[in-house]
Amino acid sequence: MASQQHVLLSPAELAYLHDSLSLTPPLRPDGRSPTQYRPLSAETGILPGTNGSARICFADGTEAIVGVKAEVEKTRRKWDDDTIYDENKEETREEAEGAEGSSDWVELTVEIPGFRDDDSSTVFLAAMLSEALLADGGFVRRLVINRRFHWKVYLDILLISPPLSYPLPLLSLTTHLALLSTRLPRLKSEGDEDPFFDDDWAAAPYLYPRSSNKKVLARPPVTLLVMAVGNNIIFDPAKEELAVADVALAVSVGDVSSSSSSSSSEGEEDVDMTAEEQEGRKLRLLSIRTVDPPSRLTPPGVPNATNSAYGHAQVGEGGKTKQQMPEARAAESEAVEGVWKPPRGGAKALVMAALVQKTLQRGGVADEVFDALEGVDLG
Amino acid sequence: MTTSAPTLAIPGQLLGHASKYQPGPGTHIHESNLYASLLGTIHVTQPAKAPGPVKRLTKITPAPAPAELPTISVTVPTRSAGAEHQQKKREVLPEVGNVVLCRVIRITPRQAVVAILVCGDTVLDAEWQGLIRVQDVRATEKDRVKIYESFRPGDIVRAEVISLGDQANYYLSTARNELGVILATSEAGNAMHPVNWKEYRDPETGLLELRKVAKPY
Amino acid sequence: MADRRRINGPAGATIPPVFDEDGKQYEHKVAKIRDRAPTAIRKMFLKTGVTPSASGSAYLEYESSAKSGVSGLKLSCTVHGPRSLPRSSPFSPHIVLSTHVKYAPFATKQRRGYLRDPSERDLGTHLETALRGAIIADRWPKSGVDIIISIIEGDQDRETSKFQGDETWDMMNALSGCITVASAALADAGIDCVDTVAGGVAALVQDTSDDSTPRIVLDPIPSEHEKILGACCVAYLPIRDEVTNLWFKGDLPASDIDLYTKLVESGIQASRNGNRVLVECLGETVA
Repeated sequence: MASQQHVLLSPAELAYLHDSLSLTPPLRPDGRSPTQYRPLSAETGILPGTNGSARICFADGTEAIVGVKAEVEKTRRKWDDDTIYDENKEETREEAEGAEGSSDWVELTVEIPGFRDDDSSTVFLAAMLSEALLADGGFVRRLVINRRFHWKVYLDILLISPPLSYPLPLLSLTTHLALLSTRLPRLKSEGDEDPFFDDDWAAAPYLYPRSSNKKVLARPPVTLLVMAVGNNIIFDPAKEELAVADVALAVSVGDVSSSSSSSSSEGEEDVDMTAEEQEGRKLRLLSIRTVDPPSRLTPPGVPNATNSAYGHAQVGEGGKTKQQMPEARAAESEAVEGVWKPPRGGAKALVMAALVQKTLQRGGVADEVFDALEGVDLG
Repeated sequence: MTTSAPTLAIPGQLLGHASKYQPGPGTHIHESNLYASLLGTIHVTQPAKAPGPVKRLTKITPAPAPAELPTISVTVPTRSAGAEHQQKKREVLPEVGNVVLCRVIRITPRQAVVAILVCGDTVLDAEWQGLIRVQDVRATEKDRVKIYESFRPGDIVRAEVISLGDQANYYLSTARNELGVILATSEAGNAMHPVNWKEYRDPETGLLELRKVAKPY
Repeated sequence: MADRRRINGPAGATIPPVFDEDGKQYEHKVAKIRDRAPTAIRKMFLKTGVTPSASGSAYLEYESSAKSGVSGLKLSCTVHGPRSLPRSSPFSPHIVLSTHVKYAPFATKQRRGYLRDPSERDLGTHLETALRGAIIADRWPKSGVDIIISIIEGDQDRETSKFQGDETWDMMNALSGCITVASAALADAGIDCVDTVAGGVAALVQDTSDDSTPRIVLDPIPSEHEKILGACCVAYLPIRDEVTNLWFKGDLPASDIDLYTKLVESGIQASRNGNRVLVECLGETVA
């Protein structure tokens, strides 16, 4: 698991981090506010050989590049379609027009240096990102060319530098921007004939259509990493923060701003605009996954009461009892203030619900992230 | 010493408040309550009534900890019933302070590599590797110790676990009288018997071989 | 990665067509309707100690639905260890958990290869997260335990293939079964756990029969419902009242957080139901 790369922090450091993150308000090692993201620079359309691409660079130097490639592929018909050759064929075609795509029209791969590409952590990341993308079926519906053909989209996500933190937010944001900048050649053929395309790249429409003033009407989903420490909820945790997390969730949020409201907000006054935007952004909860926090694998601290080096332990006694009971493990003890103990068990359902709520609520972090992404110049 | 009739516990079962019992094996504390962490039978062991100071303590130890609570533990039952389960034992890990029996695999001038076979009274299923470093062979004249004068591959050694060691090896020590080689074969291939604290004799050839000999009980 | 060790059939094979009987109209509608109460889960059979050579093992089977063609999920789990870690791995103060989930090649309609595909690896990661919260890892320093689950028979309806995203919903059911069976096998192996973790699935479904509002059902069978709007799989510790793994998937309006909360609560309920079976089975194991 990429989240479990060894964190080289001592139990004392972990205890300190945990305590400072549990304060109200939490004190994060890098001084961010709980909901603040790390600063990043983003650009899109960097790779001319792709249908869409993006690059995001975090201030700490981690960098991800996403390239989107599309190919025309023949749609494999479902067998039960074939069996229905009867009079109401037209009707079934009508149904098929509006029909869904298939999830294997999208191939998403994640490449992280230092990890095998079939490593379970990379697979987990890829599954998480594609799950969000495919959740509502809206994305694959965009890939339908006609009844017989569709686009097959390859999303290749490359992390350039070895991950300094759990790379999920970075990869998700980069994928988001790459998809926004993705253009597919304009279709010239009609109906179900073999498709041929306009070779004028300038005329190629965007996969996610934009209105006249380059405003994006719908957006691909974004996956946010949220964690809880004590009573605090912290977004976009760095590696050290994740190392003391009680629970970490990856929440995928989609945005289906209705196109009407977005277009009507064009050129209106600012006040109206914000009102419209609040109306317009309809967030959808697409997927949630628990990320195994590396905190469970951290070394525990030893309280003074049982530390033989501190002179408190029953050295002679302890040795003897241990010989008698070879199964006796390091003595169970109550949590001691200031002594790090890796969390056991899970998290309360209420805590998890609070994490999700905090992400999704109006004006919550998901809203902020989408606002920020709107600010990215898509070229 | 069990007081109550053993009853069954499944992981997560509440056993009692932490102030009533001491946690033994197979239990854990959560929010000052004791819970079972294993599937098995519950045993409550009364603390051995301290029969007065048997011998004078040579070290100053802290006042006896409030350890006079009965210890509660959950043990996995050995499944003698059912012919298909042939006496399944629970795995035991070597732990610091345990006396283990091990076989010497190979020796280098700095250390002897051993395979731990028995931990306490339990024969281990899994193979754990241990290491007896040259400075842990005996308590005195540590600088004169030579590994090849203490162990030979194939010897069976009684040793104490002193550390969980590195990723591969437990660190063991034989720096006590009753620890050391307990079974040895000569170069001729005969089982030998100990003659003094540092030598074994081959009964057939009569040759002496050097070992760190464990004091027979 | 291609499987180069065996001779495999051609890629892109299709399922043989099923012909209508006597020119009967092909029915588009879902023939099977859920006949359980929305809060009832399928019956389960769980038994520990099925593999004598393993440190711990368990077998789980879901009741096959009375209608023909629907098979219940059949899972077998073995736990090997605790055993020493390979020499190359770094020192660990905890037990190192490794989970393998593998569908048998014949478990699903579409034949599975011998190599684990991404969805199986994904299931393994989910399972690992669920179990890591349940075990007391520091009891077993420097050791590793392998949890191997074979899905002998998947939860699939032989007669239908048209369902979109069928497989992804099946994965949730499979995961929930994996969690329960692994929990039993871990207890059987004598590895310290804080509680008995069990999996539960709840889904928000829309049925065609009654054009009513979507409702929440426990332990859904995808083929019984027209459309699944969202589902969640929960790994839950009943005594501590904690969730170790939560996997939600679907498409819910973010404004309606209550719907999501209800779904998770139903998942927990399903897990509690499954846990009763687990506890009873463990009771039988020690008795």
